[in-house]
Amino acid sequence: MKNVIVSMENICKSFPGVKALDHVNFELRSGEVMALLGENGAGKSTLMKILSGVYTRDSGTMKIFGKEYDDLSPKQAQEAGVAIIHQELNMCKHLSVAENMFLGRELCGKGILKNSEMEEEAKKILDDLKIDIDPKQTVGELPVSKQQMVEIAKALSIDAKILIMDEPTSALTAKEIDELFRIIKKLKADGRGIVYISHRLEELQHIVDRVTIMRDGQYITAMNYDEVTMDEIISYMVGREIKEQFPRVDCKKGKKIFEVKNLNAGKMVRNINFSVYEGEIVGFAGLMGAGRTETTRAIFGVDPKTSGEIYLDGQQVKIHCPMDAIKAGVVLAPEDRKKDGLCTKLSVRDNLILPNLDLVCNKLNIISSEKERQLCDKEIEELKIKTPNVNVDAGNLSGGNQQKVVVGKWLARNSRVVIFDEPTRGIDVGAKVEIYNLMNALKQKGIAVMFVSSEMPEVMGIADRVIVMCDGKITGEVMANKTTQNEILTMATSFEKKQ
Amino acid sequence: MNSKKKNPIKQILAIRGMGGALTAFVGLIIIYCVFGMINHTVFAGENVMNLLRSMSKYLLIGIAQSFVLITGNIDLSIGSVAGMSAMIAATLMTHGVNPFVAMLITLLCCVVVGVLNGFLVGKFKLPPFIATLGTMFVARGVAYMVNGNRNTDAIATGIGKKAADAFQDFFYYGTTLGIYNTFLISIVLFVIFFFLLSKTRSGRHIYAIGSNVDAAKLSGVDVVATTTKAYLVSAFCACVVGFILCAQAGMGNMEAGNMYEMYGVAAGVIGGVSPLGGTGILLGTLAGSAVWQTLENGLNMIGAQVGIQRIVIGIIVVFAVLLDVVVRTGQLGKKKKGN
Repeated sequence: MKNVIVSMENICKSFPGVKALDHVNFELRSGEVMALLGENGAGKSTLMKILSGVYTRDSGTMKIFGKEYDDLSPKQAQEAGVAIIHQELNMCKHLSVAENMFLGRELCGKGILKNSEMEEEAKKILDDLKIDIDPKQTVGELPVSKQQMVEIAKALSIDAKILIMDEPTSALTAKEIDELFRIIKKLKADGRGIVYISHRLEELQHIVDRVTIMRDGQYITAMNYDEVTMDEIISYMVGREIKEQFPRVDCKKGKKIFEVKNLNAGKMVRNINFSVYEGEIVGFAGLMGAGRTETTRAIFGVDPKTSGEIYLDGQQVKIHCPMDAIKAGVVLAPEDRKKDGLCTKLSVRDNLILPNLDLVCNKLNIISSEKERQLCDKEIEELKIKTPNVNVDAGNLSGGNQQKVVVGKWLARNSRVVIFDEPTRGIDVGAKVEIYNLMNALKQKGIAVMFVSSEMPEVMGIADRVIVMCDGKITGEVMANKTTQNEILTMATSFEKKQ
Repeated sequence: MNSKKKNPIKQILAIRGMGGALTAFVGLIIIYCVFGMINHTVFAGENVMNLLRSMSKYLLIGIAQSFVLITGNIDLSIGSVAGMSAMIAATLMTHGVNPFVAMLITLLCCVVVGVLNGFLVGKFKLPPFIATLGTMFVARGVAYMVNGNRNTDAIATGIGKKAADAFQDFFYYGTTLGIYNTFLISIVLFVIFFFLLSKTRSGRHIYAIGSNVDAAKLSGVDVVATTTKAYLVSAFCACVVGFILCAQAGMGNMEAGNMYEMYGVAAGVIGGVSPLGGTGILLGTLAGSAVWQTLENGLNMIGAQVGIQRIVIGIIVVFAVLLDVVVRTGQLGKKKKGN
């Protein structure tokens, strides 16, 4: 009953200097969800870009619905029924929902666009998926989760039989993920094949039928999800045993380092009070949009505060802008590393040095290349940043290594408080553990660590104490080893009743 | 939350780029009235007619630049192409070539520049600023060379007074139903291009590649073709402006159309066309070019010096964009925070 709809054999692809894919096999059947797993840089995205016609393979055979394709353009792939829902959402933000859904294949009569017809058609598809979006709405005004739904609806509007979802849940809240899974199940029931790429292994159980595992551009194995354990999957992915997914280091809780009193900043940060002690990691849990990112931004001085006091080692510090925060020793590794964390077009070295120019310059503000080199070498060594050399553009590194650069640029300074905002989003298991180890190392050095994360298991696994936020307020505080996911979730959803 | 309540004003404002266009129209009315109150001749019928005629060049240049700006690119070659057009057409006519044939040949030359721009930017991925900077110099160089580094003689010397008059009347001096032909030509082209941009597939693609070129490409939009179309529209409008300049002077001037590309940016930007691509409508460009011409005309009428005129216009351009930024961050800023 389940036909093979995609079969790719011995696919090879090289980029200058890198062999991205080395004789990879992949197969997808109708009516199944196939998880494509592997660490960052394993070649998952490259393989899927070949299937969707973005890249051309060097060798190997590819059949879609039994038809062999030599060279596939994005348009041909679309016609063959392949649609890709991108990790970084690919929509024209200035255009409306309907305009985006019909982009590239607009309905025309005598050369004139039939707008109302397209809007009706879009509405029909959205209704069919039970998604409540006005087709006339401008896409840029929708929240990320809705934009993603629009992408799925767009794929369905071209009657895609093969949907590739690249990290579809990385920016969604728990409720939105449920909604997405509902839609995925419906698509599956319709007999469509779905390729599901995700680093959140714990969510696979809800939807996945089979898994294909890749490592370093090579095909490792494919099997039924039922017949494999999570530990096996992880060891296939990383090629070595990961002893602990969440390595915890116990430290003695010392004196109070950092305290925030009565912090208010706009609607999303209301009356925030908390402290961080020496030798602990404080986790910030909550749903997306709970105000955690806004809190970190207000502390760091990016957004203006309406009120609030910040104490460091018992002394009050005034933070009006990020420069004040950095000078005081409070640093932030922001949520969106490509947008806020890195200058992606600058080299690894330039990124590492940027906030530390005062350390490598002499009195005339001339940069000493010797000091610069020392500082870079030290950080790269310490954080095990995998980069060919320091002159590579930061944007070309893998997600995990980018994150290390973001963190690395702060470690040269003797920071007292390091704030991590979603540091592990979109990076692979191995790199996640390295980030955890890094946080643990900071904690051992006596640095106060704030750790904002939407992934419950990692907050509970890494943080010592968890502060839960909802709707811009702190709604609870628990010790990580004495709580349950349910308890945290209850606090994370304790919205005030609307008048 | 629910937008089911259909408020007609809201519906109009929901049209992409309408906000900026309406702001420009309001600004236009205010500026016009202020000048009119200082000097009543601003309101005089004759002045209005002259104003509309002078504005036509800016409107066409504005349309040219707006098409390219909406794709997220820029065309610096517009002014030079206009100059080249004027020079080629005039040179051919002084050599006795039939005006129609001369115009056709000129148009072909301009199209070549448009296609070249489109390929350099779309296909070879050159930064548009650099690519069109190159073609800007080349086109101006051609304008110098066609008649051996000097302005042409009067076109009447080649094609005779009758044909020359007909050409000049059609593009500049003549009127139809009491309105200068120049304005009518520009309005007809405005309507055609307005329709192209807002109602056709190619127009939609122009917005799409300006908004997110990767998304457009992955949706099957031909980016090279769309970019080229935008530059072609630009070159075509520049060509027509060249004819108008030629008709106005009755000869070809090597420096014709100098700086026009920047006037085009100003007209577009005042009218709410985003220099970053993706938004803007030609109605805004119409308002923008009218604001531009009204300022020039009004400042002239109240006796301001050229220097003052430039300063005022410069301030208005920056102010228009500043206003746009304030309005946008005021609105979008809130929405963004929701994560």
